Amino acid sequence: MASTFPVDDAPILNDKVTWRTRLADIRRSFVFRVIWQGILTAWAATTFTFFLIRLLPGDPISIKTDQLMQQGYTLDEAANIAATLFRYDPTVPVWQQYLQYMSNLLQGDLGQSISSAGTEVTSLILRFLPWTLLSVGSALLISFALGIILGTAMAYWRGSMFDNVMTGIASTLSGIPDYVYAIIIIIVFGVQLEWFNVGEMRGGVDPDIPAGFTFAYIGSVIQHALLPVTTYVIATVGVWMLSMKSSTISTLGEDYINVAKARGLSERRILFSYVGRNAMLPLVTRLAISIGFVLSGSVIVERFFEYPGLGRALTIAVTTRDYTTMQGIFLVITIAVIASNILADLMLGWLDPRVSLEEQA
Amino acid sequence: MKRLFLPIAVLLLLLSSVFSVPFAQDMEAPEGTWLGTWPYTLPPDHHLNAYASGGPNQNLGNQFRGMVELTPAFYMWASNEYVGILAETWGFVDDNTAYEIKFREDALWSNGSQFDADDVVTTYELGRLAGWTQFNFIDVVEKVDDFTVRFHFIDGEPSLVAERLLLKDYIVADDTYGEFAVRAMELFATEADSESEEWQALLVELQEFRPEELIATGPYTYSLDNVGDAFLTLSWQPNSIYSDTVNFGELKLWAGETETTTPLVLSGEIAHATNVYPPSTIDTFVENGLEIVTVPRGYGPAMLFNLAREPWNIREVRQAVALVIERDQNAFLTNGFGASGTQFMSGILDSMTPSLLSQETIDQLDPWTFDTARAEELLESVGYSRDGDGIWADADGNTLSAEWVFPQDFVDFAGATQDAVAQMNAFGFDITLRALPWQEVPPIIREGSFDLSVWSWGAGNVLASRHFRNPVQRWVTELSDEQPGLAISLTELELADGTVVNLDEMINNVNNGLDTEAHRVAADEVALILNSEMLFIPLNEMLSAEPFNTDVIAGLPAADDPILRNPAGSDHFVIWMLLNGQLSPAG
Repeated sequence: MASTFPVDDAPILNDKVTWRTRLADIRRSFVFRVIWQGILTAWAATTFTFFLIRLLPGDPISIKTDQLMQQGYTLDEAANIAATLFRYDPTVPVWQQYLQYMSNLLQGDLGQSISSAGTEVTSLILRFLPWTLLSVGSALLISFALGIILGTAMAYWRGSMFDNVMTGIASTLSGIPDYVYAIIIIIVFGVQLEWFNVGEMRGGVDPDIPAGFTFAYIGSVIQHALLPVTTYVIATVGVWMLSMKSSTISTLGEDYINVAKARGLSERRILFSYVGRNAMLPLVTRLAISIGFVLSGSVIVERFFEYPGLGRALTIAVTTRDYTTMQGIFLVITIAVIASNILADLMLGWLDPRVSLEEQA
Repeated sequence: MKRLFLPIAVLLLLLSSVFSVPFAQDMEAPEGTWLGTWPYTLPPDHHLNAYASGGPNQNLGNQFRGMVELTPAFYMWASNEYVGILAETWGFVDDNTAYEIKFREDALWSNGSQFDADDVVTTYELGRLAGWTQFNFIDVVEKVDDFTVRFHFIDGEPSLVAERLLLKDYIVADDTYGEFAVRAMELFATEADSESEEWQALLVELQEFRPEELIATGPYTYSLDNVGDAFLTLSWQPNSIYSDTVNFGELKLWAGETETTTPLVLSGEIAHATNVYPPSTIDTFVENGLEIVTVPRGYGPAMLFNLAREPWNIREVRQAVALVIERDQNAFLTNGFGASGTQFMSGILDSMTPSLLSQETIDQLDPWTFDTARAEELLESVGYSRDGDGIWADADGNTLSAEWVFPQDFVDFAGATQDAVAQMNAFGFDITLRALPWQEVPPIIREGSFDLSVWSWGAGNVLASRHFRNPVQRWVTELSDEQPGLAISLTELELADGTVVNLDEMINNVNNGLDTEAHRVAADEVALILNSEMLFIPLNEMLSAEPFNTDVIAGLPAADDPILRNPAGSDHFVIWMLLNGQLSPAG
């Protein structure tokens, strides 16, 4: 069959077709769609947060003004002082503030703190983020590991005294907010029973120990993280236990478990190699999503222990209506949640190829 | 020559002892640690620039900033007089067109530099750049000599408000801010206004300035290395005029607010705290052997009416409300023994009324003592009667119903509100409560979108006009035109006898001039109007109930010590007693 195209053009056309096809393939690909959705979600969440924050009654200047008036200043005086202390002009239209913010954001500039004029929000986040990652991150992993082990055991020996007691404990633990545990730990174990010195356990590290990779410094960091981590583990382990128990019970009904039992395999091998691994799959996905919430899951606990994390910084920013700091922290939380969701989606697609194929279809 | 050597050597020795400054003598830091608390922020939020938010001004508060940067004077409320700190003499000049302060010549900064008038001029020229309130009263800050500064009043009009501001300002170091001050003065010489680009650019530069050290006139100083996650340490320094009188080697300030400091007070880590603790917590402190020292807080909760809405626009209804709230009970439920029911109802805090009003006027004030029978008479006089449910209603059946908005996170104001509402409802009002985060309440009051609310009345100030302005002027004339606030015209206020007065102007003029007797006469007039009009109800006057751990701190003043009449804030007795060594480590 004669070609309708000049012979020399054929490779170019083929290249174009290949290029377009590849582009279309990329656009249709599971990975591309997941990442694109993530970017859109990040923009929408950032925009939503920007306007939502400004809908909160009271702005940084009016709140500072109210505080100064409480000290006896007249409104003019107080507003004057507040306006000179803070770098924020409430008369600029919100849409202008939004455009400026997005423009700066695209250049990687999160702006300056309103409540600490001249301080970059990025430096604030970098100062506090590691502490939250350390405390809540390690707490999450401990809680997850404990929950998996105990949940599997509860399911395997379901109906036993162990299962009943542990189910009760897990339900109770998961029903109480984390700050209640923080208060109980401080008042009962710290003040009344004097198991530890309440003051010495505050903060992220002993300020008298110079920072560095020394045993003393690392030991102090671990010591100070102990109470927030314990609080967070107690507050979350119950959920992991119950989820793992539920997942394990459904796995135990699978045919391959009966086959394994029929083959006479040891209980231990069945529990860990057959039941545990398979039951853990949905929880691994959930763990990935939880990692995103690590940054936001510590607000009140950090406040009680004066732990120098993002939660404490966020509490102060909300109280003073420090818009730029709030936006910066919310942005980090948003990105973390979205990134972990993307990670979970990709992991799910990798672990179960049907997910990505089904979505493409 | 040898014969002359000895006399010359002796003479030189004498001269050196006379002229040498007492720089970093062999003084040693006193022992003992003050264990206090203040809700400071952490670096990088926390910095050492006094002219930007996040600096020592907010991170040390009035009480502890006075330990690092001294003020010219301190005010004693019981005797109505200033006592010098950095200032040696002070007062209005002969024709009252200026205020002059002569500073001590023996004051040094922590870096060894001499404290002098240049530091004062620098402080104020940068204050002018930053838009300080003082420049509503003064225009020129003149260095008369090395230790004397004269503040010239605008149009030669003297002001007691300005006097207090000038004597209570923290003076910063020329060594730190001098270059900025020079540039600011060069800018002012060009007659640039505060909206100009040059002015704003220099202000931004000043706010972004981050001093590496805090050069102090006070006996303590600190660097950002001393700002820990859990506590901040102010360390003794030897060059202050108070270095040899203070008894603590360091001031350790724990971070946190009421809920986070409570366990530390109980465990002995905090020996003195100024937070507002609920009555039950105060009881626990007492049970644990802590001393509770009470000082005036300088304000109390006031019930606010939307004066444009019925029935609160009716004077007799407001007066009836005043009669059905038992204010001692309300005070107890506000802050336990840390509050007292309002007695005089003069618009001036009870603790200041005797000194700011004449006795004749005080005798004329209606105390609005709890009296339900009198309240019933008042309501019946304006056409109200009880309906079948016992609720008061007018002839058309409109009940005395309303919603009361209050800040849920202010335990004191929340307590005052809940008790007042309970008492009003027991009498036959129909009030419902609406709790909001505190930040949301002032905007609602400003917008006038409320029936009833609660906010502060009175002031931690020695001037009657400052007391009167809160809350009436604060929530009416000081708002913008679009904000109705309490929704009443103070400039044309019709009194019970039909006369119309300009209450706003009357309040503004109370402290005009320097004649204190004229001030009293003007204050008497305003007090009588507020007492009869009941534009707000001053529910109680709060005290600051402050726990002291006497195992750690010795030298607490006796309960009748006049210094305890000083309110919490920049005149807090602890500032004076720490500086002068009256407080010391126990044991």
